[in-house]
Amino acid sequence: MASSSAPPVPELVPAQLCRSCDPSRFAFRTTEELEDLPLVLGQRRAVAAIRFGIGMERDGYNLFAMGPEGVGRHTVVRGHLEQEAARRETPSDWCYVFNFETPHRPRALRLPPGEAGRFRQAMARLVEDLRAAIPAAFESDEYHARLREIEAEFGERQERAIGAIGERAAAQGIALVRTPAGFGFAPRHGDGVMSPEHFHKLPEEERKRIESTISALQEELERAIHDMPKWRSEAQRKLRDLNRQVTRTAVTSLIGELRAQYAALGEVVGYLDAVQEDVLDHAEFFRQPREGEQPMLFGLPLPLPEAGEAFLRRYQVNVLIERTPGSGAPIVHEDNPTNDNLVGRIEHIAQMGALVTDFTLIKAGALHRANGGYLVLDALKVLAQPLAWEALKRALRLREIRIESLGQALSLISTVSLEPQPIPLEVKVVLVGQRMLYYLLHAYDPEFGELFKVAADFEEDVARDPENDFLYARMVATLARGAKLRPLDRDAVARVIEYGARAAGDAEKLSVELRDLCDLLRESDYWAGLAAREVVGAEDVERAIEARRDRAGRIRERLQEEILRGTLLIDTAGSRVGQVNGLSVVTLGGVSFGVPHRITARVRLGAGKVVDIEREAQLGGPIHSKGVLILSGFLAGRYAVNRPLSLAASLVFEQSYGVVEGDSASSAELYALLSALAEVPVNQSFAVTGSVNQHGEVQAIGGVNEKIEGFFEVCRGRGLTGAQGVLIPAANVKHLMLGREVVEAVAAGRFHIYPVATVDQGIEILTGVPAGDRDALGRFPPGTVNFRVEQRLADFAERARALGAGPGPRKPARGKARA
Amino acid sequence: MKVRRLIIGLDPVPRRWALIEEAVAAAGRMEAELIALFVENAALLDFAQLPFAREVGAVSAARRALDAQAMERSLRAMAGEARRMLEAAAGRSSVRWSFRVARGSLVEVLLAEAGEEDLVIATAGHPAEHGRAWKARVVHLDDPEQALAALEAAGGEALVLASEDVARLREALRRLARGQQRDPD
Repeated sequence: MASSSAPPVPELVPAQLCRSCDPSRFAFRTTEELEDLPLVLGQRRAVAAIRFGIGMERDGYNLFAMGPEGVGRHTVVRGHLEQEAARRETPSDWCYVFNFETPHRPRALRLPPGEAGRFRQAMARLVEDLRAAIPAAFESDEYHARLREIEAEFGERQERAIGAIGERAAAQGIALVRTPAGFGFAPRHGDGVMSPEHFHKLPEEERKRIESTISALQEELERAIHDMPKWRSEAQRKLRDLNRQVTRTAVTSLIGELRAQYAALGEVVGYLDAVQEDVLDHAEFFRQPREGEQPMLFGLPLPLPEAGEAFLRRYQVNVLIERTPGSGAPIVHEDNPTNDNLVGRIEHIAQMGALVTDFTLIKAGALHRANGGYLVLDALKVLAQPLAWEALKRALRLREIRIESLGQALSLISTVSLEPQPIPLEVKVVLVGQRMLYYLLHAYDPEFGELFKVAADFEEDVARDPENDFLYARMVATLARGAKLRPLDRDAVARVIEYGARAAGDAEKLSVELRDLCDLLRESDYWAGLAAREVVGAEDVERAIEARRDRAGRIRERLQEEILRGTLLIDTAGSRVGQVNGLSVVTLGGVSFGVPHRITARVRLGAGKVVDIEREAQLGGPIHSKGVLILSGFLAGRYAVNRPLSLAASLVFEQSYGVVEGDSASSAELYALLSALAEVPVNQSFAVTGSVNQHGEVQAIGGVNEKIEGFFEVCRGRGLTGAQGVLIPAANVKHLMLGREVVEAVAAGRFHIYPVATVDQGIEILTGVPAGDRDALGRFPPGTVNFRVEQRLADFAERARALGAGPGPRKPARGKARA
Repeated sequence: MKVRRLIIGLDPVPRRWALIEEAVAAAGRMEAELIALFVENAALLDFAQLPFAREVGAVSAARRALDAQAMERSLRAMAGEARRMLEAAAGRSSVRWSFRVARGSLVEVLLAEAGEEDLVIATAGHPAEHGRAWKARVVHLDDPEQALAALEAAGGEALVLASEDVARLREALRRLARGQQRDPD
């Protein structure tokens, strides 16, 4: 064995494998003694953004609270909004009332907070009063006398007209006869009509004269009848005027009271004026005809006022929003932000098979409820609802709420419809969503940046230092108290902190995913309860973590089992050329675990291509493919600078039947390749993780803890030999938060973890053969891995050249080289 | 005066039949028998037989040829209709009633029918000239209030209340019924 080019890599000591939290640093005994944490931990940036967004009262300064699920975005947002909302003044009440000029455009009325309900009652009372006062006015003697006057005038006019014709007829010896459907003219004889026999006896001349006289009279009668509708409408106008005059006193005095009450509110006074005119015009609707009695006018039945109650609906007040005075600005969280739930909707009533509506069927949406305050929405839910996003943006852009149903917007239904007067909107919207959504919206929706100017970016972890450890303990105390859980002793808190670091996947960070933390606390409390403990101890936390791991462990255990049974081929002892144990992480249902994979490499003479079988089979993701391509770059750059890389190599993840993604196996692949080229066997007691760059440096990867534990479990299942271990990138050492069993095995010298910075370091550990550095002449020391690789590639290149030169010189050249 | 029979005359002008309702109510309250006479106007039938008989519609002003048969059919149909109306109104009360069809002039038919202690309601203009000859007191109603006074002043002879205004007659019937009830004497 040639001399080693670099000092051997020292294996990691237990202290480096898991940064434990020392409970003795905490002065408290249980979390009971700790004060609540007023804000969440480690969200300085997000909190500052929220404060700014809430305080900034300009257009477009709406908020987008982004970050992963469960970091407490909703809690933080709500907490700040509640503080601010309590300080702000209570916004107005809103009602919709009938628009007497354009009935299909209901009128919006703004009222001081708490007044809308009172106004509705006042209007209802007014209608009740009018229903008593107006019929009383109609019952008065004055009304009856004047009504008779009008009726008599019309009747007389009619009679006079007909009578005048009758008289003219009589003067000419003709009688006016009333027939069932009208009038007729006949020659008189004595007091009655001339009999037909008598008529036939008249001389023809006389008969002709009578007929022509009658014809003239008929024409005259026709003209008179044509004039009658004119007189009738004149009488009706007089009647309307009479109705107005008779009811005016009652109506103005009743409405006047209301008007005085709302004198300060111009809009309401304007509405009451319109009500007054309308009531005067339609006073007859307030009369309650006695049952079965048909109202008559000029002897003709009047049409019954279309269901009196239905008509009086127009004087109702539809209270859209009513606030409690002094309650501050509203905070509305709409969990189902459909278009209708946001901007409100107009309901319909089925009547004789048709859909009808009026202003009383207008219903408020979340924007109405939040108007003057804050609206919190889940970004994904808004985007998932058809047209809801557009509706929200339109409302924010126009600063008004315009109720438009989807059916109307898409012209799907055509029925009686309303266009309620838009209500001015002043609201601060807070969207809560994942970062990806924020960036996508920013990239693809030009209006988004205009309308949501403030991003509150939530962190998923916080630096782990003594100060934060203590704050974390307080956060645990706060959450436990909030969820009414048993207090935790300091050992339990320390264990929770270690869990937080492991969840962050980093020994120097603590996860602030509150939801997960809360779940852990609740589950620990459950186990403490089962053990009849008053205080949650470290063993309860441990048990919660274990139980959780066990619940989610079916697939992990099945994979381990198949490895131990030899179905999945993984060697954990012995040596093989071109074969390395790689490590992958499987994430299913929010649970991650590591699984070893056999990675093999075969080499032969070829055109300088490393074939990634995963990619060829379309089972390799782009990042994996990139990792493999980097290997070619490394090989060519280190071993074949001056000659063609005449290598054909194939790399495969054995027994992998799904898509392989990520470059964390690229170092393992390189080791397999170097082993195959150098024909040096690799110790199968090791598993490897880490990506590699073109210079042969090993780079950090994710999921290092799961990967180590995955291999450890396989080894433990077969019995730890004391030779087994994992090679990890040196840059990942700070992320180690390994389970207790691994740490104990390492402490006992039964398992080993090596932090590796370069490929050379790794190959030495795996093969036990020095990697070798180039000497002053640029040559690798003979016997080293690098020497052997270089020789093999040189041999390939030579053979390729010889093959390319034709069969003649190939043989001697080859013989020469060997010699 | 105690009313024995209440006699109403119905002519072929359906809008005047509205008084049936009040007449039934008044007869009920006065405990009188109700006699309804549907009078087919003889002059109408004569008129319809004239070769040039034309009817000018009261509302449409349209001219329409008439003949005797059509007029008779029309009168029969109307009498049937009036009878049904009376039947319906009387069916709701326990009034004794009868319905007859007569031919002639309304006032003459009514006066021929009227006897002692009868109250006659006539939809007619000025039937005063017939009164003396037929031993009836004829009151032309200018005001429904007159009805009560006329009834109180009447003796055994028949009392005819006449007006062309049906609304006035109806109001008078209502008051009569009320007045009788309040003051049983």
